[in-house]
Amino acid sequence: MRRNVAIIGCGQTKHTSKRRDVNIAEMVSEAVYNALEDAQVSLREVDAFVVGNMQGFGGIAQPEQWLGDSIGAPGKSVIRIATGGTTGGSVGQGAYYTVASGLHDVAVAVAWEKHSDSREAGATTGLLHVGLGNFFHAASYGLSLKNLVATSAVGAAAGVAVFQAVFYMHRSGCSIEHFDMVAAKARRNAAKNKYAHLQWPGCTPEDIARTEIIAYPFRYGHICPASDGASAIVVAEENLARKKARQPAWFKGLAAFSDEENSLQSENFGGVGVLDPSEQKGCWMSATKAYKMAGIKDPQKEIDVAEVYQPFPSQELIFAERLGLFDEGTAWMALEKGETDIDGRMPLDPSGGVNATNAIGSTALQRILECALQIMGKAEEHQVPRKVSNAVAHGWGGVTNYITVTVLGDSPGR
Amino acid sequence: MIRRVAIVGYAQSHHQHNMQKTREDMVFEVCKEALHHAGILREELDTVITASTDFLDGRTISSVFLSMAVGAFLKDESKVEEDGTFALYYALMRILAGTHDVALVEAHTQGSTFNPHQVTFYTLDPLFDRQIGVLNDIAAAALQARMYMNRYSVSEEHLAMAAVKNITNAAENPCAHRKMPDVSVEEVMSSKVFYDPIRELMMSPISDGACALILASEERAKEITDKPVWIEGVGSCQDAYLRDRNIQNLDSLQMAARTAYKMAGVKEPFSELDVAEVSEKFAHEELMIYEALGLCQEGQGKNLIERGTTRRDGEMPVNPSGGALGADPVCATGLIRVIEAAKQIRGEAGGYQVPDVRRALAHGQFGICAQKNAIFILGGNGS
Amino acid sequence: MGYVKEERPTTISVEGTWNIGSYHYKGSKLMEEYVKGLKQKKLIGSFCPGCGKVIVPPRNLCGRCHRIMDRRKIVSNRGTITCFIVTPPMEKGKLKVLGMDPVETGLIKEGEVVIPVFVKFDGSDSNTDTILLNVDPKAVHIGMRVKVLWAKEPQGALSDFEGVEPV
Repeated sequence: MRRNVAIIGCGQTKHTSKRRDVNIAEMVSEAVYNALEDAQVSLREVDAFVVGNMQGFGGIAQPEQWLGDSIGAPGKSVIRIATGGTTGGSVGQGAYYTVASGLHDVAVAVAWEKHSDSREAGATTGLLHVGLGNFFHAASYGLSLKNLVATSAVGAAAGVAVFQAVFYMHRSGCSIEHFDMVAAKARRNAAKNKYAHLQWPGCTPEDIARTEIIAYPFRYGHICPASDGASAIVVAEENLARKKARQPAWFKGLAAFSDEENSLQSENFGGVGVLDPSEQKGCWMSATKAYKMAGIKDPQKEIDVAEVYQPFPSQELIFAERLGLFDEGTAWMALEKGETDIDGRMPLDPSGGVNATNAIGSTALQRILECALQIMGKAEEHQVPRKVSNAVAHGWGGVTNYITVTVLGDSPGR
Repeated sequence: MIRRVAIVGYAQSHHQHNMQKTREDMVFEVCKEALHHAGILREELDTVITASTDFLDGRTISSVFLSMAVGAFLKDESKVEEDGTFALYYALMRILAGTHDVALVEAHTQGSTFNPHQVTFYTLDPLFDRQIGVLNDIAAAALQARMYMNRYSVSEEHLAMAAVKNITNAAENPCAHRKMPDVSVEEVMSSKVFYDPIRELMMSPISDGACALILASEERAKEITDKPVWIEGVGSCQDAYLRDRNIQNLDSLQMAARTAYKMAGVKEPFSELDVAEVSEKFAHEELMIYEALGLCQEGQGKNLIERGTTRRDGEMPVNPSGGALGADPVCATGLIRVIEAAKQIRGEAGGYQVPDVRRALAHGQFGICAQKNAIFILGGNGS
Repeated sequence: MGYVKEERPTTISVEGTWNIGSYHYKGSKLMEEYVKGLKQKKLIGSFCPGCGKVIVPPRNLCGRCHRIMDRRKIVSNRGTITCFIVTPPMEKGKLKVLGMDPVETGLIKEGEVVIPVFVKFDGSDSNTDTILLNVDPKAVHIGMRVKVLWAKEPQGALSDFEGVEPV
């Protein structure tokens, strides 16, 4: 018999490229106090925190030790989870387990990133440093400079995604125009979300198509921004959830299956056995388990809205298919028909998603938070125009080998 | 607890300075060995939780190239930062939630990759303490030691005696790093001063090491082993930041211990616990830990050391394995304590076995002056 | 102004640089076997007796079988492109690698396009990432057959494997 657990409050900060009016601690506490206020819960009622961001991106190691005081953490259990891009998703899931375990009754999950505190986004121990140990190893064996230039030209972080996009285009038949459409939709949706970063009301695929190609098939207009921002959710056990929230967003299913490293090297510059980085077996397995827990048999019919982690537009299509929301290789056709718009049959990223707002550590938690808002009916302007019974939140991280899938619903029933 | 959960297998590396093994090999070996110790296959795992930190590993997303090594290929995986006991806490929560039954918990640090003491400097308030640049974990520990010694009339000899106890215990432990069977109080007191009164032999050594542990729900544990080590109580707590807390007490440890005692039904820890394995990164912390755990009255920690109460053959043995002063692979240290406590219960501790252990306490910590603490109360079948 | 910093609405920016110092990573000696093979113009992969997969360059362990890949196999110098990217023409001042401009230093010609590719060498079960050379960018396609372009005088370094070119 599992304990029923729900999200009863959501808080986030406005996302911009530079929040110079606050420091990290102030920014994080802004999100936490917004969430507590939304949940009508006092700090005294909270008995555990789950926190996370990318290590070193703000230039601070284990920042919760310093900023814990700003969010009322002293005297409570504080667990720090960091899994790369999925950090927020892992933090959100961590809060579920915290309460579902029965060890704690009310937990706050908070995740953030403040890119502007570093001169370059993610500087010091940034994204390039994921492969740093490998790079120095290869360099000591005479790595070819031209090969290195090629890697840098594609961009270390975008690199995996570009290859992944090419694989997907090849097997599904979609084209660069579909990526323009996803990016335009993200910016249009973001314009309706007051917390989003890249807002562009009425943005059209043609607007995006006018931007420069970085590495085919990606244009400048396809790429997510680097944002400053934080998000937080309050997670509670059933009795309190029912008392505090008119419509809690219940956790119904969740999973986070890891796959072998995708397409970058493995430890010490070895190769990897994943032949197609858009295959995403981990995502498929996570979704299968999460739906099973949630009692969802046909996600295409039973899921009302999805928040897909899509820093690059190709990923909205790839992962929507892996989440079982569309048949293999057909997401781009649904996109063409407008089915993924806010008022479509299967709205994807009504908030604008990661493509419009990317505070790395926080983004995957934001996907869970946005799904909760849709279920609670609090998404304001970007609320999808239908009853939301089930929503699925997704996150990917690492070298696209980490996945979090979380299914939320309007009732705890399985 | 809503489910009973047990430790059913474990393994640790031979911790040492600058181990001649890659991070991947080291981690792979302990995970493989832990699975073997439990007698299960990787395929039987439901979830894998690891602990490491990016600064210590020198890689952003430190876990990303280790997922295969820890056996997480297509498994529900996550990574907790900092001490392995927090990863254990998370794995326990996953099993208690009823969503998973068998978990592997792994923690590691190769201290030779980057000076762990330097990393502690980066955990400081970036706007004030970092700018001033005088503090790190050792300096803060020296301040804490001085305040504690001053308040309770504890002498440097007391600190040295605690160090001698743990370092000589470590000599019997094949996995420990710092082995000095004949170390004396004089030797400790004449070792190099880092920040007065903290001397080299009063500090944990910088070790390379890893450990892994298998956790299972009651039903699975009984299938896997006839010697399960049950988790009877847990507690986890964070203190305020260095400047906003009273560093002469370990309040968060005390709170974590109270929570765990309550859950396990422990009323008199001194008489009800048979052994304790604690993470004392500095010798004075061991005395403070005695007090926070309620093994003695406030300020009486020195008496336990003076009287030999906490020696391996004493009334309340603490750190028969040698503790953190014996080996300190930063993120693994707390989880190693849990493994050592479990070994005592299962009677597998060999040369440093304490007779007749039925209930044991294990402690993990992280942060300057032990800002974060986790406590586990373990029991055997008979407890 | 002395110590009083310029006022901002609510906070000030505190400038600082952070060079966190040297790391000492531990590398495996697997790469040594690989570059020794390159010196003899051979591609060495690691072979997993559990699942039979061959990975190039060799990796230390197989996650599927959770075992060390302690056996080696030599794979063909020829393979198939499974994926490619064509960069825009390179220009001066656009890219810095290790602090230098590859166009300015002549490593890459002005206007040259770089084509990073994944190649599945015959007999291997992995994508090897490298660059495609001596090719008309318009002719590149998935499934294109390629072979390794070796350095004129292999030194036993990763750079002996300059890239691949069409067969």
